[in-house]
Amino acid sequence: MSTEETTIGELLAEQLERLFSREVDRERIVAVEQGRFDRALWDALEEIGVRLALAPEEAGGVGLTWEEAEPALRTAGEWAAPVPLGETMIAAWALGRAGLEIPDGPVALAEEIMALDEGGRVSGSASLVPWLSQCDYLLVVARQNQSTHLCLMDRQSLELSAVDTLARIPSSRVQCHKATPIDFAEIGDLVGELGLLPHIATLRTVQMAGLLDRLLSLCVEYGNDREQFGRPIGKFQAVQHMIAEMASQAAAARVAGLYACRQVDRNRAIQGATVAKARTGPAATRGAEAAHQVFGAIGFTDEHILHYYSRRLWQWRSEGGSENWWAERLGREVLAAGGEKLWPHITAPATADGEDS
Amino acid sequence: MSSPFTFKPLEIPPELEPLREQVREFLREAGRDWSGWKVGHSWTGFDKDFSRAVADKSWIGMTWPTQYGGGERSHLERHVVVEEMLAAGAPLGAHWFGDRQSGPLLLRLGTEEQRRRFLPAIARGEASFCIGLSEPNSGSDLASIRAKAVRTDGGWLLTGTKIWTTNAHLCDYMIGLFRTGGGDTKVKHEGLSQFLIDMKTPGIEVRPIRDLTGENHFNEVFFDEAFVPDDMLVGEEGNGWKQATSELAFERSQPDRFMSCFPVLPELVDAINKRGSPDRLAAREIGATVADLVILREMSLSVLGQLAEGKTPAREAALVKDLGNSHEQQIPNLARDLLDLPATIEQGNRLSELEGILTQNVPSYSLRGGTREILRGIIAKGLGLR
Ligand SMILES: Cc1cc2nc3c(=O)[nH]c(=O)nc-3n(C[C@H](O)[C@H](O)[C@H](O)COP(=O)(O)OP(=O)(O)OC[C@H]3O[C@@H](n4cnc5c(N)ncnc54)[C@H](O)[C@@H]3O)c2cc1C
Repeated sequence: MSTEETTIGELLAEQLERLFSREVDRERIVAVEQGRFDRALWDALEEIGVRLALAPEEAGGVGLTWEEAEPALRTAGEWAAPVPLGETMIAAWALGRAGLEIPDGPVALAEEIMALDEGGRVSGSASLVPWLSQCDYLLVVARQNQSTHLCLMDRQSLELSAVDTLARIPSSRVQCHKATPIDFAEIGDLVGELGLLPHIATLRTVQMAGLLDRLLSLCVEYGNDREQFGRPIGKFQAVQHMIAEMASQAAAARVAGLYACRQVDRNRAIQGATVAKARTGPAATRGAEAAHQVFGAIGFTDEHILHYYSRRLWQWRSEGGSENWWAERLGREVLAAGGEKLWPHITAPATADGEDS
Repeated sequence: MSSPFTFKPLEIPPELEPLREQVREFLREAGRDWSGWKVGHSWTGFDKDFSRAVADKSWIGMTWPTQYGGGERSHLERHVVVEEMLAAGAPLGAHWFGDRQSGPLLLRLGTEEQRRRFLPAIARGEASFCIGLSEPNSGSDLASIRAKAVRTDGGWLLTGTKIWTTNAHLCDYMIGLFRTGGGDTKVKHEGLSQFLIDMKTPGIEVRPIRDLTGENHFNEVFFDEAFVPDDMLVGEEGNGWKQATSELAFERSQPDRFMSCFPVLPELVDAINKRGSPDRLAAREIGATVADLVILREMSLSVLGQLAEGKTPAREAALVKDLGNSHEQQIPNLARDLLDLPATIEQGNRLSELEGILTQNVPSYSLRGGTREILRGIIAKGLGLR
C-alpha cells in the first residue's frame, strides 16, 4: 500500500470503526464474557460483508490480501470486538483457497495439527480454542502421512470442556476422537509445517497492535483530563515519558503485525509470525503495564474499561504461540545456522518462494 | 486507525541483491584485518583511506545528482550499502556525517556554488564534515546556544565554543549553528544560522577531549573572531533552527541508530555454539533480539520511504531512534549475560575486544543525536500531551 488513496482495506476498516465505536461498549463485552453470543453485532458484520474479505473471489469472497485486510483486523482488535471475526475471516481464506465451501456463521480455529486416518476421520486435541462454544464449526489442519488436509469439523462431533482464560472470552479444550469432518481437502503448501499456528499468531499480533493503539489514545485522553496538584497529569514529564514509551511499543506492534500479514501473502507465514509475535509479546506486556500506571486506581476497577483491554493483551501475547515460544524457535534456528548466516538471514528478500513448507 | 504515527512498509526489492553482494565482497577484502576493537567504533571510527575506497565504488553521495558527484541512485540502494557497512562495523566516520547529513543539507538548502564545491568533494571521500551544535552550557537545550556570528566586511566573525564535536580534530569542515540575532529567552529559536566552516580558518582552535575509553574522539572547538565569508552561510540567515531540526529526521531514523553493536551478535552466536548445545533461555534471548532488529529495520525503512517522498517524519524518526538505542544498548549486556563473560579485554579475541569497547561506549547512544528524554518529549508532544 504505497499510494495515498484510501484502499478497499482501509475503507472496510473505517466501516468497522464506525460500527464498533458505536456498538461495542463495556456492557456488550461483559455479556459475551458471561457466555452470550453477540448475535446483533455478528449480523451487522455480515451486512458489511467483512467475513469473506480474505476469501478468494472464486469462492464468493472479496479476495483481499492479508496486507489489505490488516486495517480491518486491527480495528477489530482495537475495540476488542466481542466476536470471532478474525478467526472466521481466516477460516474463509483457508477454506476458499482449499476449494471447500465456506459455511455461514462464525468458525473457530485450532492451533494444533491433528491426524487424519485412512477412513477420513480426524483425531487429536487442541488445548485452547477461543469462541468454539459459540461457533458451529472448528477448522482443523490434519496430517495423513506426508499430506496436509484442511478439515471443517462440526462442533457437535467434538468433545469440549470449558477453559478459564485471562480474556474471559468463552474458550474450550477440545478432544477429537475419530470424528468425521463435514468436508476436507488436501491443501498442498497453503500452510506450512506449523499448520494454522502462524496465521493465528499473525491475527493476535494485529489485534494486539490495535489494542495498544486504543490504550494509547485512552492514556492521552486521560493524561489531558485528570488533574492532580492543580494540573493535568499529562503535564508531568514522568507520565509523558510512560505514554511516549507506550507509543513506541504500539508503533512497533503495528509494524510487526503488518509485517506478518505481508509475509502470509508471500507464503512466508512462519517467518512473519516468528518475528511479529516475538516482538509484540513484550510490547503488549509493557503497554498494559504503562496504561495501568497512568490510570491509577480507577483503572484497577471492574467498572472501568481498561482491564477489558489489558486482559486481552495478556491473553493474546500467549495465544498463537507465546513470544517466548517463537523467540526460542527463532533463536535455535539462528544458532543452528551459525554467526555468519545471521545477517544474510535478516536481509534475505521476501520473495514468494514458499520457504515455509 | 487511530495511531498518530505513520509507518507504511517499504521493501528492498530482490533486484538490489547484486549490489548487496558487491558491498559484502568489498568489505570481506577491506575488513580482513579489522580488530574487534576497531569494529566496535562502527560509524564513528575515522579512516580516510577506507572512505576513499568507498568513494571509488561510488558509494558516497549515492542518491545525489551526478552533476554534484552523486550517483543518482535510489534511497533504497543507499540503504543497502549503509546497512551492509554497519553490519560489518566499518569505520565510516570520515565520510558518514557528510553523506548522512551535511551533504543532504547542502543539496536542499545550499547555494549552487556550495553544492558544486562541496558535494563532489564529499562524494570523493575527501571532505570530512563534523557537526557543531552543542556548547558547554547548551546540550539538550540547544536553542540556548551563545556562540555568535557577527557581521563584518564580506562575511561573519564567529566567536564562542562548541563542544563534544565528534572528530573535529580530523575533519575539514564543520556545519556549525551560531547566533546571528535574537537570543532573549522568549525568541531563542529565532536568530540562529548555519555556517559552513573551513576548520583551517585562523581563529579556530580544536582541543581534543579524551572520552571514557581513553581515546580522543570528540573535541572542544574554540572560535575567536574566526572569519567566514558571506557565501558560507547555509540556507537563510535566522532560519538555522528550522534547518538544523529538519536534518534530524535524517539523522535519527537510519540503521546507525540501532546497529552500532550488531557485530557482537554473530560472534555471540558462535560462542554459544562453541560451548555446546544452547540452553532454552539463550536461544530465546537471541531470537527476541533478532526479532527486535527485524522490526527496527522495517521501521527505519518506512521512515526512509517518507523521507524519499520529501516528507519530514520527525516524530517517527524520534521513535525509531528511541527504540533503536535501547536495542543496541542492551547487546553487550546480552553477550555478557549469556556467556558470563569476564571483565578482561583479550587482545586478538574479537568478541572480547568488541565487548570491551562497546560496554564502555553504549551509554553515549542515548545521549548523542538527542537524549532519550528529549526524544520521549518529542513523541509525547506528537501525541498531543503537554
Ligand atoms: C559520544 C558523543 C558524541 C557527540 N557528538 C556530538 C557532535 O558531533 N556534535 C554536537 O554538537 N554534539 C555532540 N554530542 C553532544 C550531544 O548532542 C549532547 O550530549 C546531547 O545533546 C545532550 O546534551 P548534554 O550532554 O549537555 O546533556 P544535558 O542536556 O545537560 O542533559 C543531561 C541529562 O538531563 C536530561 N535532560 C535535559 N533536559 C531535559 C528535559 N527538558 N527534560 C528531561 N530531561 C532532560 C538529559 O536527557 C540527560 O539525561 C555528542 C555526545 C556524545 C556523548
